[in-house]
Amino acid sequence: MTKTATIMIDDQTYQVPDGINLVDAAKLHGITIPVFCYHPKMESVGMCRMCLVELGSISVNRDTGEPDLNDDGSPVVRWFPKLQTACTQTVRDGTVVRTSTAQVLEARDNILEFILTSHPLDCPICDKGGECPLQNLTMAYGPGRSNFIYDDKLHLDKHVPLGELIYLDRERCIQCARCTRFCDELVGDDVLAFHERGRSLQIVTISDPPFDTKFSGNTTDICPVGALTTADFRFGARPWELDEVPTICPHCPVGCNLSASTRIDRDFGGKKMIKRIMPRQNELVNEIWTCDKGRFGHHHSRAADRLQHPMMRQGGEWVKIDWATAYHQIASKLKKYADSAGFLAGPTLSNEDLWELRQLAELTGDTPRLGVWPAAMTGAGVVAQVGIGVNTRLQDVGPETAILVIASDLEEEAPIWWLQIKQAADRGAAVVVANARETKLDRVTHTVVHYDYGDAVAVLNSFAARARSRRKTSKALLDNRVDGYDDLAAGLKGTRVPFADAADVLLDAENVIVFAGAEGLTLDQHRELMQAAANLLIITGHVGRQNNGLVPVWPGANVQGALDIGFSPETTASLIDEPPAMWFIGGADPAADDSQAAHVLANAEFVVVGAQFMTATAAQADIILPRQSFAEREGTYTNGMRRVQRFYAAQGPVGDALPDWTIYAQIGARLKGPKPPVSAAAVMRAITQHVPRYAGMGYSSLAHVEAQFPDVGGDDLYYGGTAYANHGGLGVQWATDAEDDSARLVVRPAQIEKPEKSGDLCIVPVRLLYDRGPLFEPSDIMHQRVPEPYLELNSQDAAHLSIADGDRVMVTAGEIQIETAARVNGHAPEGVVLWPRRLAHGPAPALFSACSVQKIEE
Amino acid sequence: MIHILLRDLEIPDIWQFDTYTANGGYDGLKKAVHDLSPAETIQIVMDSNLRGRGGAGFSTGRKWSFIPKDAETTYVVVNADESEPGTFKDRQLLEKNPHQVIEGAMLAAYAIQAAAVYVYCRGEFWDLAHALEDRIEEARQANLVGDDILGTGWDCDVHVHLGAGAYICGEESALLNSLQGLLGQPRVRPPFPAQMGGGLYYQPTVVNNVETLANVPWIIVNGADAYKKIGTPESPGTKIFCVSGHVAKPGNYEIPLGLTFRELIYDHAGGILNGKRLKAILPSGASGPVLKATDEVLDAPLTYESVAALGSTLGSASFILMDEDTDMVWAAAKMIHFFKDESCGKCTPCREGTYWLDKIYARLLRGEGTAHDLEMLEKVPNQIAGVTLCALGDFAVNPVLATLEHFRDEYEQYIHQPEFGPEPAQAL
Ligand SMILES: Cc1cc2nc3c(=O)[nH]c(=O)nc-3n(C[C@H](O)[C@H](O)[C@H](O)COP(=O)(O)O)c2cc1C
Ligand code: SF4
Ligand code: SF4
Ligand code: SF4
Ligand code: FES
Repeated sequence: MTKTATIMIDDQTYQVPDGINLVDAAKLHGITIPVFCYHPKMESVGMCRMCLVELGSISVNRDTGEPDLNDDGSPVVRWFPKLQTACTQTVRDGTVVRTSTAQVLEARDNILEFILTSHPLDCPICDKGGECPLQNLTMAYGPGRSNFIYDDKLHLDKHVPLGELIYLDRERCIQCARCTRFCDELVGDDVLAFHERGRSLQIVTISDPPFDTKFSGNTTDICPVGALTTADFRFGARPWELDEVPTICPHCPVGCNLSASTRIDRDFGGKKMIKRIMPRQNELVNEIWTCDKGRFGHHHSRAADRLQHPMMRQGGEWVKIDWATAYHQIASKLKKYADSAGFLAGPTLSNEDLWELRQLAELTGDTPRLGVWPAAMTGAGVVAQVGIGVNTRLQDVGPETAILVIASDLEEEAPIWWLQIKQAADRGAAVVVANARETKLDRVTHTVVHYDYGDAVAVLNSFAARARSRRKTSKALLDNRVDGYDDLAAGLKGTRVPFADAADVLLDAENVIVFAGAEGLTLDQHRELMQAAANLLIITGHVGRQNNGLVPVWPGANVQGALDIGFSPETTASLIDEPPAMWFIGGADPAADDSQAAHVLANAEFVVVGAQFMTATAAQADIILPRQSFAEREGTYTNGMRRVQRFYAAQGPVGDALPDWTIYAQIGARLKGPKPPVSAAAVMRAITQHVPRYAGMGYSSLAHVEAQFPDVGGDDLYYGGTAYANHGGLGVQWATDAEDDSARLVVRPAQIEKPEKSGDLCIVPVRLLYDRGPLFEPSDIMHQRVPEPYLELNSQDAAHLSIADGDRVMVTAGEIQIETAARVNGHAPEGVVLWPRRLAHGPAPALFSACSVQKIEE
Repeated sequence: MIHILLRDLEIPDIWQFDTYTANGGYDGLKKAVHDLSPAETIQIVMDSNLRGRGGAGFSTGRKWSFIPKDAETTYVVVNADESEPGTFKDRQLLEKNPHQVIEGAMLAAYAIQAAAVYVYCRGEFWDLAHALEDRIEEARQANLVGDDILGTGWDCDVHVHLGAGAYICGEESALLNSLQGLLGQPRVRPPFPAQMGGGLYYQPTVVNNVETLANVPWIIVNGADAYKKIGTPESPGTKIFCVSGHVAKPGNYEIPLGLTFRELIYDHAGGILNGKRLKAILPSGASGPVLKATDEVLDAPLTYESVAALGSTLGSASFILMDEDTDMVWAAAKMIHFFKDESCGKCTPCREGTYWLDKIYARLLRGEGTAHDLEMLEKVPNQIAGVTLCALGDFAVNPVLATLEHFRDEYEQYIHQPEFGPEPAQAL
């Protein structure tokens, strides 16, 4: 984008990046070319014809290369004889355009008149009314009155469900194909299509189940009219009544920037409530997209069964207590169990909560036990060394970059990263997908590595060995900055390279990004995986730069923050192995996720649980503290790319619930701790002073917003669709060691013992996006998308056990016995039982473990 | 009278492989692959000044020469969608002289070194398409199609594909989409089919009409100069005219370009049915402007340039003749209804404009037309013309504008004469 082109718009000369779209070029300089179908994130289709302009180019003398001049010295312009659509043009030197001549204005007027002939003009009852590009452009450029006879209007169905989440109003559709292009081109899910032709052309869903994609809500944002509405929001409020509050999705490590549209509402006791969730533009994170979990999974914040008051267990009964009593009780228990207390932080605790929890824990001793939940992934140190380079923009990644995704079902675990990698593949990025089973990402690439569970680390080691044998190592880095290379090299000697093609795809790229999950790995094994990934990146020099480095697919929205503030999954493991007498748990539900943890908690002497709901863990507590959801309070989350991002209070309070940090600080004050801080901002200030990587990340710098390109989100609705303006901040990403030239990088041999093939079946827990976790289940609107509990069996194994698809089965894994349904669909490798987490409420195996499966005869 | 194309008129069995080869069939292909380079082949077609018979009349040789020389994969697509109202020439060629079409397509394929040829037939041609597959198999057996053609090491197969009955799929970029299994809607151009990114599967592609290609074997065998001796310098060769409507002998007539309208209509096609007077001529089906049958028109030569000078187009030469009793408003209404049905709906002016015009005509025919409607018939077409994504939008306004220009009085009767309907309904 460094080359510039000199172009003329409306007789003025401008410099713009060479080769960008003409509509975007005009927008850069504040000139409006109205559009309906053009969208900067999608290929141009030239359908609506709203962007017609006079177009020409400066005539250049072939011999001299100089522009030909008129008598008055102005350059000769060769004009197209007819108006041209601006959206199908890219600019280059000498492009000349006129955007507001009489001819252009007349053409716009004509196009609008045409669009309105078929339009119902039911603005007063239309959800888009008030933020509608068609309304806006009609006011700006449209005919004052129509020549079309009203009785000639075509009438079509107005409430067509395209699945249970999105409704189509056929009359309002202006056939711009944004929704179909989004699904076809950007997502690659074949779910929407045009049916029929001419004036009968209409949007239909062609998938079964209908509109079967995890990104469906985005179509309602980019639809330039009120044709697509969500079941969540339609007829819910008028746009001008809404107050937009910037927030961050609490569901996964992507950390989508969202906007909560809020209103004081009767349905919520006259308090401010979230009426809908919209994406908020952050080109470095989610661009303008969000997944349907993020969009529709906000109902937990005002669910009727939210915990409202602190409670204490007395003789098997829950008794409501006040906060003062709760603080006092807990403080005295912490004093009593100071030598044997364990602290466990869940994945939706904000950095402020985590900090205050740590302050509280440190009042009980110098080295408190701080665990993070889920304890499925580790590698804080590795991330600090070689995490993805600062200012990485996945949307710019192309043929020069290779992306490895290992041990993760990315669409289920971090949907927007999946979407961005899919699009990178379309732009020519080389994608390598490595897992023990097929996942949806496989379809974006030819380079798929299917290893045996247990071989993930060996695969990475073989890539590193290949880098050495092909001399693809970075001499500069190895000579000057790396410790432990000799040991690593010795360990890699003689390593077999079974997937040489995949290795070469990575080794031949200019940039390499690794996304690492933990599917099929124990915590100890995952530590090795992260190290093996770091080894590969370090020795090949793919660290410390934009679009290079490691992205952990953490099991939660703020696991990175928890690690940064000193919580660790290793501590969690030790807490379960050597349980403390007292547990202090915030925002985690280990009892539901892990039957072993449930067992340990049941035997603890005193358990304090901060929770939003009466979870399995809360049910085992001695004191329950109602914590506020992400909606009622402010705070910061640190996403999987180490970007620290602010969210703001979007909803009125629920009962007596308080933000976790307040609760912890109040208890601390009763343990001779400092006076509780007055605000989340103050807590963040403390963090910036004590956590070096967060230095300078005060609330005002986190709230900083710069102009973004393409400027899709603006309140001017320039590109149609809905506004996604970011008024909450772009966040700040902390730099890794690799980005500091003076810092040393450490490699070491990484290895895991491959379990012996025993002939037994093994359970491999996998993550699903749509589950029955406590923060998602309250969103009734999504229930149809959450599958009934099931496990997946390999067809060979199923045949041996005489189990057919759909049979009821009994799984026995150690102490646990679970009845569920079997799926035999070709996705599970032999000997493996895939176990989707959090579909059932009962006990669950957390880790890779041996099991047996038996059919339940009717 | 020579027949270059409708050779079945002289040799009824020419559809049979042996008959075709016995009469010089595939000599052009043999000559090209053995004696001519691809570039020389293109040059001959260019020199012949053969112009596309699918409608636009674009130079066929130039079109072939646009294929980038460094393209790795190229295709030839034979446009056998033949959907223009009143056009039925490609059908006769494919049915009666199919090997000549195959040979012409193979010559195009040789000229651009295509990887494959696709014949896109309109859906209603299913019987033809199946027969054509048999003819292709015969050529394949004779090593004229398929692998290692005539021992030269060049591989190129021919495939037949059936459309699903949409006029727009005759438009080349919509055709390519349809062939690829996508929705049959035109593409944004550039890139044009011959350019990288614009053709079949986005590879450079030559799209030619059936009749265009059927000319090529003759040109290769007899040379460009011989071809230019037929017809006029600007419009050389013969052309098949599909004559229909109020005519004594409807049918296909292959005549040299440059004869007059009068010669075609009266000498060849037997004049107007029942001795009536000719009122109007549609020289290019529904898509070109109608001509009033004046002496000036009847004495004009049938060439691309002279028909253009009269304010219409030769197009694919589907001559629909209308006698003195024809109601031109009714005729225009029919055509508008056709375009309204066939608009693909991709772009706003054509989708909405044809719907609007159709509503107006329906009202006129019901006798409920108003002065406002007549005003709109002048305004709406000008809102469509020139701003649509493909030429269908431009075609669609021709029936309105041309009939209004030549037969305005008939429209006025629909509006002012009570016996055609009630008093004008209320305008807006
Ligand atoms: C609406 C529309 C319909 C068309 N239908 C046909 C058709 O049925 N057959 C055809 O050969 N060309 C048709 N054409 C022209 C093709 O787009 C294209 O110009 C032609 O196939 C090129 O072949 P030629 O150069 O051999 O004439 C159509 C064009 C338009 C705009
Ligand atoms: S539903 Fe909306 S986005 Fe889809 S084609 Fe219609 S107007 Fe465009
Ligand atoms: S991708 Fe992740 S962060 Fe984004 S909306 Fe979905 S669950 Fe939330
Ligand atoms: S002009 Fe008509 S047929 Fe052509 S693209 Fe537009 S709507 Fe489709
Ligand atoms: S045609 Fe350019 S914005 Fe629709």
